[in-house]
Amino acid sequence: MKPRLSIIALTIAALAAGAALLAWPRSTWPLLAVLGVLFGCLTLNHHKPLRFAIALALLLFFIPAAGTHNTFLFELVTTMGIFAAMSLGLNIVVGMAGLLDLGYAAFFAIGAYTWAIFGSGQASEFMSGSFPLPGWPFFYTFAALAVITGALTGTLIGLPALRLRGDYLAVVTLGLGEVVRVLANNLDHPINFTNGPQGITPIERPPIHWMLKPLEALGLKATPALAYSIFFYLLVLAVIGIVVLVNVRLDRSRFGRAWVAIREDEIAARSMGISLTHTKLQAFATGAAFSGVMGAIFAAKQLFVSPETFTLLQSITILAMVILGGMGSIRGALVGAMAVTLLNIEVLKSFSDFLIHLRQTGFVLNLGIASYNFANLSDQIEPAKYERMIFGLILVLMMIFRPSGLIPERRHRLELGEPKKGACQDTNGGACGPA
Amino acid sequence: MALLDVQNLTKRFGGLIAVNDASFSVESGQIFSLIGPNGAGKTTLFNTLTGMYRPDGGRVLYRDRRLSGLSPERIARRGVARTFQNIRLFGAMTVFENILVGQHPHIRYNYFDAIFQTPRLKHAEKRAEARAHELLEYMGLSDRAFDLARNLPYGAQRRLEIARALALRPKLLLLDEPAAGMNPQETDELKQVIRRLRDDRSITVLLIEHHMSVVMEISDRVVVLDYGKKIAEGTPAEVRNIPAVIEAYLGKGALEKPQ
Ligand SMILES: Nc1ncnc2c1ncn2[C@@H]1O[C@H](COP(=O)(O)OP(=O)(O)OP(=O)(O)O)[C@@H](O)[C@H]1O
Ligand SMILES: [Mg+2]
Repeated sequence: MKPRLSIIALTIAALAAGAALLAWPRSTWPLLAVLGVLFGCLTLNHHKPLRFAIALALLLFFIPAAGTHNTFLFELVTTMGIFAAMSLGLNIVVGMAGLLDLGYAAFFAIGAYTWAIFGSGQASEFMSGSFPLPGWPFFYTFAALAVITGALTGTLIGLPALRLRGDYLAVVTLGLGEVVRVLANNLDHPINFTNGPQGITPIERPPIHWMLKPLEALGLKATPALAYSIFFYLLVLAVIGIVVLVNVRLDRSRFGRAWVAIREDEIAARSMGISLTHTKLQAFATGAAFSGVMGAIFAAKQLFVSPETFTLLQSITILAMVILGGMGSIRGALVGAMAVTLLNIEVLKSFSDFLIHLRQTGFVLNLGIASYNFANLSDQIEPAKYERMIFGLILVLMMIFRPSGLIPERRHRLELGEPKKGACQDTNGGACGPA
Repeated sequence: MALLDVQNLTKRFGGLIAVNDASFSVESGQIFSLIGPNGAGKTTLFNTLTGMYRPDGGRVLYRDRRLSGLSPERIARRGVARTFQNIRLFGAMTVFENILVGQHPHIRYNYFDAIFQTPRLKHAEKRAEARAHELLEYMGLSDRAFDLARNLPYGAQRRLEIARALALRPKLLLLDEPAAGMNPQETDELKQVIRRLRDDRSITVLLIEHHMSVVMEISDRVVVLDYGKKIAEGTPAEVRNIPAVIEAYLGKGALEKPQ
């Protein structure tokens, strides 16, 4: 499609979808349309400022406005955002640097426990002082600290990557990821650090009374629950903004280039003076840092953490996001996180509800030659229960039909001939050299 | 003083002695060729020089300091760049990015410069980009700058390997069969390029090549390896007439048979 035409179509679609969402905040279709437009904003290659404006309008006006009538929207998009930060982080390790990491949920856990332990009474189990620490300013301090604890654990778990690669690395990271979960599960004795399998609750949230006035000015008398939904929604959006920015900047710096170089050819990279040790550990630390900060936010948002949130399945879900979106692609990681989260908490559930509805009403599907009465449908068939199978299927189909993902890596797209011939693809606003 | 001094270098693979007690020294400003039949150990010698393999005996001095025992990245940072016989480009990166990767050790800014886009980063990146354009121009790759490396034709890939190695600003450049797969016109251009590297950029070149025309025309000195052993050394004219060399290339008895 012509660039101009597609951007006009996208604008119209955005307005229509946004309006529909406002009109029917509770139904699934307008929501899917809005997410579709966001997807379009990420996929198109032209009119960057306009696409950005459309996405902002949806994220900062239409979705919040509809969300005040249906807080599930906030929940959904916030969850997408949390996963997006993680898929962006994992994308650095797996997508860019090519290091298969199956223990990624561990960093999320580290971040979550960093705040959970000190933002609840838990810390008084093993140290003196008055706990929980108040949400202001400590939540923000600990969210920043979670970046560091995440990065440090990332470095530790990255150490085997210096000696192993491919499948071996995957197995070891899987094991280390499980170690973190098992530690969380068992560090309730002899000294109670994590409260074991019961998990930690309640966890302090940052105070948000400062938000109530502006909300009232917008004509919204928010209940505390709604106000917190809005707060976490905006917080996650802001963090995602920062994470994307950092990602893009690193990707275009010598660090990003070194990551991709070692993925492409370790030997060639080394003979260009690239240190494998530094490069791999930087990838692990950076990827883990994003996950860490979202862990802290997650803990505050949920008010509760327990080891069961940080399972291998979680790591694999995030990996599925990266693969689905396109390994090494920043926009792909975002889209992958959106798609998988949506599939997980909306589509499969809706489809299950739909089937149940058909069964209960005894709907008869008549195809002329054959007919089927849905009343006979076994109640074992419930798509939400087949999450893993459906994931597996999607991944297999992707590998067959679109192995480089929904939005392939930027460098791949150059193949389709964007800047050509002497075109100076300038990444930093600087001048191009003498060509 | 020799730029590179290879002393009694030995490399074994199990029972096979791929490089056997080889010694030679390369003077600054020379084009120094390494020839020998297939499997003679030329590439293995390169791999040992550049730290990919640990030598089983002997040592390598570069500017009077030991190279042997250092990691490949340290050796690269000392100013020894190389190309590969079986091209090893970063295929999924653009031609331009390949050159930027080659400049890695010279692009100096830290992690936080990258995150905050400091003037230091902008300055460094701008310079690196300017240099990349200059190198692409030099190697005749300017119009392919934003193609993916893996989509280049074969000859261009070989030139990109050289361009990427030059991005490292080496004092010593190791070329492993750069003319392999090139057509005669490209091969001629390659000869010019290698000469210009030495003349304009004062880069010393250590060259492995099977194209005898290239070796004979541009080398100052030639070492001949056979079964890992150095069997001859001299100027191209000298080496060409040594019976052992002819034998190594054409097989035993070749000299007796009337041609
Ligand atoms: N990694 C390795 N492991 C075991 N044997 C090896 C290895 N690399 C090379 N060899 C063997 O060492 C010998 C020398 O190989 P090398 O590649 O150095 O030869 P070459 O002179 O570069 O040959 P060509 O002209 O074909 O490139 C060969 O017999 C080869 O099979
Ligand atoms: Mg060879």
